[in-house]
Amino acid sequence: MNAPVKTLEERKTELQGMGDSRLRKEDARFIQGKGQYCDDIKLPGMLHMDIVRSPVAHGRIKKINKDPAMAIPGVHAVLTADDLKPLNLHWMPTLAGDVAAVLADEKVHFQMQEVAIVIADDRYIAADAVEAVEVEYEELPVVIDPYKAIEPDAPVLREDLAGKTEGAHGPRDHHNHIFTWEAGDKSAADDAFATAPVTVSQHMHYPRVHPCPLETCGCVASFDPVKGELTTWMTSQAPHVVRTVVSMLSGVPESKVRIISPDIGGGFGNKVGVYPGYVCAIVSSIVLGRPVKWSEDRIENISTTAFARDYHMDGHLAATEDGKILGLKVDVVADHGAFDACADPTKFPAGLFHICSGSYDIPAAHCSVKGVYTNKAPGGVAYRCSFRVTEAVYLIERMVDVLAQKLDMDKAEIRRKNFIRKEQFPYTSAFGFEYDSGDYHTALEKVLDAVDYKALRAEQEQKRNDPNCPTLMGIGLVTFTEVVGAGPSKICDILGVGMFDSCEIRIHPTGSAIARMGTITQGQGHQTTYAQIIASELGIPSEVIQVEEGDTSTAPYGLGTYGSRSTPVAGAAIAMAARKIHAKAKKIAAHLLEVAEGDLDWEIDRFKVRGNEEQFKTMADIAWAAYNQPPEGLEPGLEAVHYYDPPNFTYPFGIYLCVVDIDKGTGESSIRRFYALDDCGTRINPMIIDGQIHGGLTEGFAVAMGQQMPFDEQGNLMGNTLMDYFLPTAVETPTWETDYTVTPSPHHPIGAKGVAESPHVGSIPTFNSAVVDAFAHLGVTHMDMPHTSYRVWKKLKEEGIQL
Amino acid sequence: MEVKLDKRYELGVPTQHAWAVLSDLESVASCMPGASLGEKTGDNSYKGSVKIKVGPATAQFGGEVEILSMDVANKSLVLRGKGADKGGSSASMELEATIEDAKDGSVLVGAATVIVNGKFAQFGGRMMVQVSDVILKQFVDNFRLKAQALGGSIESAETKVEANESPSVGSGNELNGVAIFWALLKGWIGGLFGKKPVG
Repeated sequence: MNAPVKTLEERKTELQGMGDSRLRKEDARFIQGKGQYCDDIKLPGMLHMDIVRSPVAHGRIKKINKDPAMAIPGVHAVLTADDLKPLNLHWMPTLAGDVAAVLADEKVHFQMQEVAIVIADDRYIAADAVEAVEVEYEELPVVIDPYKAIEPDAPVLREDLAGKTEGAHGPRDHHNHIFTWEAGDKSAADDAFATAPVTVSQHMHYPRVHPCPLETCGCVASFDPVKGELTTWMTSQAPHVVRTVVSMLSGVPESKVRIISPDIGGGFGNKVGVYPGYVCAIVSSIVLGRPVKWSEDRIENISTTAFARDYHMDGHLAATEDGKILGLKVDVVADHGAFDACADPTKFPAGLFHICSGSYDIPAAHCSVKGVYTNKAPGGVAYRCSFRVTEAVYLIERMVDVLAQKLDMDKAEIRRKNFIRKEQFPYTSAFGFEYDSGDYHTALEKVLDAVDYKALRAEQEQKRNDPNCPTLMGIGLVTFTEVVGAGPSKICDILGVGMFDSCEIRIHPTGSAIARMGTITQGQGHQTTYAQIIASELGIPSEVIQVEEGDTSTAPYGLGTYGSRSTPVAGAAIAMAARKIHAKAKKIAAHLLEVAEGDLDWEIDRFKVRGNEEQFKTMADIAWAAYNQPPEGLEPGLEAVHYYDPPNFTYPFGIYLCVVDIDKGTGESSIRRFYALDDCGTRINPMIIDGQIHGGLTEGFAVAMGQQMPFDEQGNLMGNTLMDYFLPTAVETPTWETDYTVTPSPHHPIGAKGVAESPHVGSIPTFNSAVVDAFAHLGVTHMDMPHTSYRVWKKLKEEGIQL
Repeated sequence: MEVKLDKRYELGVPTQHAWAVLSDLESVASCMPGASLGEKTGDNSYKGSVKIKVGPATAQFGGEVEILSMDVANKSLVLRGKGADKGGSSASMELEATIEDAKDGSVLVGAATVIVNGKFAQFGGRMMVQVSDVILKQFVDNFRLKAQALGGSIESAETKVEANESPSVGSGNELNGVAIFWALLKGWIGGLFGKKPVG
């Protein structure tokens, strides 16, 4: 008896390929508490490391007395910069071409900087011993304000750079100056401003925030003195790059270094860098010949491992009287902290900030970013965004609002007028980016219709005219374009390694498969979505495709996961590797069916002989044959590796609208509605996309409405615990509405653009736009974030608003 | 973080008695709750320590106290204290204290700049001013008692009662967190009902 013949649709559904909302493969272990994070790793004989940190933000180390710590039973070693000097490991190179102290060498440059480490039998003894290390400091004047840092008589922060007039990114004109980076055409922009009938300017500070992943940073370093092999489990978003760096620093050949990124509890850019804690744990393991574990606590994480943003921006727009933008100029002072440790592609010290012309057709544009040293922790990473794109989108979206206010135009109308039109793609911006695809007008109208924008504006008008209304109503609108998927190796590299990514697929004889990747998931759901791409390309059910990442000994070399690069770069590598397998499979199918390759058609999960429906071979049939009866002249096996070097970035976009009601008496903001339309090109798993958007919007809400890292004049970070640092829970988080359009990327093998960061990048200026809009009728054009109730309440008082 | 304090305290004791206490660093130190003075390290400097306990957190600042100037004619003293705590905090204070004549005895006038760095600033920053007020209040109460002990008090009975009622924190060797909390709470509730806060 024949089994019932499945319809095409049934066969397609069974694959759970692209477009299927299959449940996350990762969740079974996570919701049972069976994830394996770094801190879950326990090795026999493992020791624990803790770090002595500086209480002062700027000071000279006069004396370190280790003896009281060494006297504590269970303490194995106390190491300082002096101990690392003979190994030349007291300083290390940063990803940005600077050097950073591993342990403070004579001077401390920021509060809680690493001064010494203690290795002990357990974490408790280590913590006690940290308190027993006596360090004497001579306090030096502290520089917190980046503008003051570059005044002529500002204190010298980096004595190690004395006399260096050339930095990694060009000339340095001041002892606290790192680089000045420019893009665009200054004279064209100047000309536009000289003749434009309307110009607007706005100063804004994008505050320093911290990605604050739920899992802090940490590692377990295990050096085998017999084999000379170093294995390190590490919370890293880029394990292969770390292996390269560790090999370069330690002198251990790269083939004997194994970096494993196990399950990672969120990264958001915080886990891209190489931190002193990792280096010290590795050195300690090599020196002591025993495994050494280091796990940051929350205070250490927020205080010392990479922050994000801290851009002081001056934006200027030139326009016609009816709102057509003619020119854009931007000047930024970027506070990089004590060491330049941004994780940007080498050639771009301000990342891809020059995407700041946004979704608009702006004929002339110029931007300049000046990086400056201050007595703060180093960082400047891409917190759930592509390199500095959040700052760029914030800048342009704020400026367009400011211009609209000046011209008394509606926010939607001014955007319609300046959008890059659908027929202009591929569009080359004044900064030189080639936007791959987009349809902004369609997406905007979809959102305005969905929320009934006109009715909202009418309601706002009515409330503004009602002196008894207890709330101020604000409507925020943002129409952003991201640039992600770094990137083409002709312009993008990290430490000289091109920013390609990789995939290796093996089809087993019975038709199941394993794919190994150069990226590493930190919550994105790679094990779920990567399998779906292979399922669609090769007709193998997702359920039997294993995806492995994060172990440098098994996975092919890749640059890792950050800047929404996994789908645009590694996702493309998967498709390309699958297509190599597909091509070989076709040869095998032709052999098995005794026809020419040209007589075969591909249909979901099989090759069919054209014109003869009964004659076909499924991918499972072909896999078996690949190992057992390959055609003559064809090597056995069915596997492929692909290293994908993208020809261009991808340009996802979105239209976000937010309605906020602000209590006139208390300053509390209530997000009444948040409507997010995203276009990420081809959609792989709609459920995961929604989850990513919810997460990104929630983190955007956190940044806009509450997160900040305030410093006092002495450089104390006032707010490095979750008591102060705002991490929204379900209680504070608003309800999100999501929507989408699909404009595939023409240059990506499956047309996908990447999505996880758009909601963060796009939502922050939307919240800001909504809050400012609530005050717009009073002539307010800008308010710096975060919009905490207290800060909004102060603004209400300033504007004389009474309940 | 930096806190500037400008305070005037009515002492109700004769000027010369108050100055006698103020001009003797060991006496002054013994009035400071949780403080102790150690060995002399120079003509005008001593080793010193202050122990503060707030809830479960204990900070012990060890460092040096130095008399920067002493003006006998104007009954004025400038001193600087600097110290660090093993838990990752450091603090410094520059204090100018003067005894002024007043109708009913004398007044202790103090102007201090306190700088605190590290964990103590980060976690305790919000309460710095309030905690300082409480500590100073306790200091002055002890100071007054010490000056009274020199005899010849002209203060009223009422003041004496108030001084005796204040939490006894100077006698121990550390600042008592419960006492500080109680005083803060009293001050806060007092403030709520429009009364002048304690201290």
